[in-house]
Amino acid sequence: MSQRLPVRSLRWNSVGIYASFAAFTLVVLLPVYWIARSSLSKAAVLRKLPLVYFPPVTWDNFRTLLDQIPFLDYLRNSLAFALTTTLATLIVSYVAAYAFARIRFPGSGMILWVLLISMALPEVGTIVPLYRLLSSLRLLDTLAGLTLVLSSTLTPFTVWVLVAFIKQVPYEIEEAAVIDGASLPQVLLRILLPVIAPGLVTMGLINFINAWNNLLYPLSFSTSPSSKTLSVAITEIYAGFSPYGKPWELVSAVGVTMVFPVVILILFSQRAIVSGLIRGAIK
Amino acid sequence: MALARLSWSKLVHRRYALFLLLVAPAFLLRLTTAAYPILQTILLGFTNLDILKGTDEFVGLQNYARMGTDYGVQNALSFTVIYVLSSTVLQLTVGMLIALLLNASFRGRTFARTINLIPWAIPTIVAGYGFRWLLDEQFGLIPYWLFELTGIRLVAFISPVSARVAVVLGHVWKDAPFMAVVYLAGLQGVPQELYEAATVDGAGAWQRFWRITVPLIMPLTITMGLFRTVWSLAGFDLIYGMTFGGPGVATTVLALQVFREGINFFKFGFASAISVVLLALVAIVGIFALWLYRKTDVAY
Repeated sequence: MSQRLPVRSLRWNSVGIYASFAAFTLVVLLPVYWIARSSLSKAAVLRKLPLVYFPPVTWDNFRTLLDQIPFLDYLRNSLAFALTTTLATLIVSYVAAYAFARIRFPGSGMILWVLLISMALPEVGTIVPLYRLLSSLRLLDTLAGLTLVLSSTLTPFTVWVLVAFIKQVPYEIEEAAVIDGASLPQVLLRILLPVIAPGLVTMGLINFINAWNNLLYPLSFSTSPSSKTLSVAITEIYAGFSPYGKPWELVSAVGVTMVFPVVILILFSQRAIVSGLIRGAIK
Repeated sequence: MALARLSWSKLVHRRYALFLLLVAPAFLLRLTTAAYPILQTILLGFTNLDILKGTDEFVGLQNYARMGTDYGVQNALSFTVIYVLSSTVLQLTVGMLIALLLNASFRGRTFARTINLIPWAIPTIVAGYGFRWLLDEQFGLIPYWLFELTGIRLVAFISPVSARVAVVLGHVWKDAPFMAVVYLAGLQGVPQELYEAATVDGAGAWQRFWRITVPLIMPLTITMGLFRTVWSLAGFDLIYGMTFGGPGVATTVLALQVFREGINFFKFGFASAISVVLLALVAIVGIFALWLYRKTDVAY
């Protein structure tokens, strides 16, 4: 008895773990499965009872999107917006983070806090003035305007995480380079950049996902296919009607187009993303 | 490029100048697109600026007085508090449970840790429409399963209560995994010796969790709870997709109200005044945070 008891409890324990694992997987993947299934199905099949779990695959919905709306423009805008925002945020944040990590003086910590606290401002509370600002700069309905605004939003968090990454690098490496006559840009680009590349990649991934997913700014400031993104496209398609009611098959097709790249990124860089998220949350 | 011509040693002597130069782009961005707009918002809140009506006058506290009697705003304010508090508490709880699972050793753990990031990474607006479709009363999977199993017909988006429950649960689905990522790191930071010593002393799994794990990750819980509260106050994507604030105004939060009054109806003055209320809620959370940190002596 005394020998069997631990074994039994261990078994029950692992039954519990695998049951939780199964429930967790089901809950996480159910919405993903649902839109993937709906995007690849004919509209009529989605309105059949009993429900068809795996309808015959058709690419009609994507074809409809290409035919009826400027889908490729939206896709291009989303990509350009996400890439330029990521790059701009990284450049601005990297130089600022370098200053915060390496140039310490009484009060420099306070300045970093001011930057971080600006993260707490609710972005939606700034859209009316931003709308007027972008309008006066003639940047409404442009990717440049969207990039400007979102890069600013993403900068504080990126600075915070990069400061932590840079602080981990021993200062001696830069010191030696300076003694050898390296200039500041050389230190930043040739000496430090390769060392903290993992940190930059991590924040690049997180910022790309954030920008790719952003709805508020394009929804507020974009009025034409010259700057509308996929996130705006999905709201417009949802607002439309098809003979079957809400065009769920088209909404799902845009959804899948938006989900696909981020899921691929996660599959290949789970560790890098997690390290950035954790550094942002834990000191 | 001017930077390259200056010699490094001179710049080191001018540490302050160098510091300013390096942080200038970040601060310029924040000043023009965050600090200045927020000040503008506060000022606009005292005007009746309305693009469609063509009014633009100083009206003092009229917008705020109007809010006092505006059913839509009152409802948005109360639902914002309910929505933010209930989803934050649930996200912390569910996030902890997921973290405990991801910290256990079992076959498929790496897979579980990877898919855990999916809800975090999915565009919130897509998650919103995904849940709306998943809960569709005629052809949605969840009402279908529920009906097959129990005979109950779930019509989630007609009654205010079920619509509210639905958006809170959707929010938990979206953001609990992020909490789990942070909690998992926290769990991995708890020294194993503590658990071993407690086991030797005869503590059960439940006791070990409440007496060791919970107190040690309390600082993390407080910090994450506060951050989530502030972020949830500002977000509206999920509700925009799931209910667009309906039925009626049952699931309208302040952030969504600001967007609709400002961007959809061009009532810039009134929208700005609602923004100020939102800002005040953020400030209350911030003051509460400072008080909490002083009291518990928890550094972030």
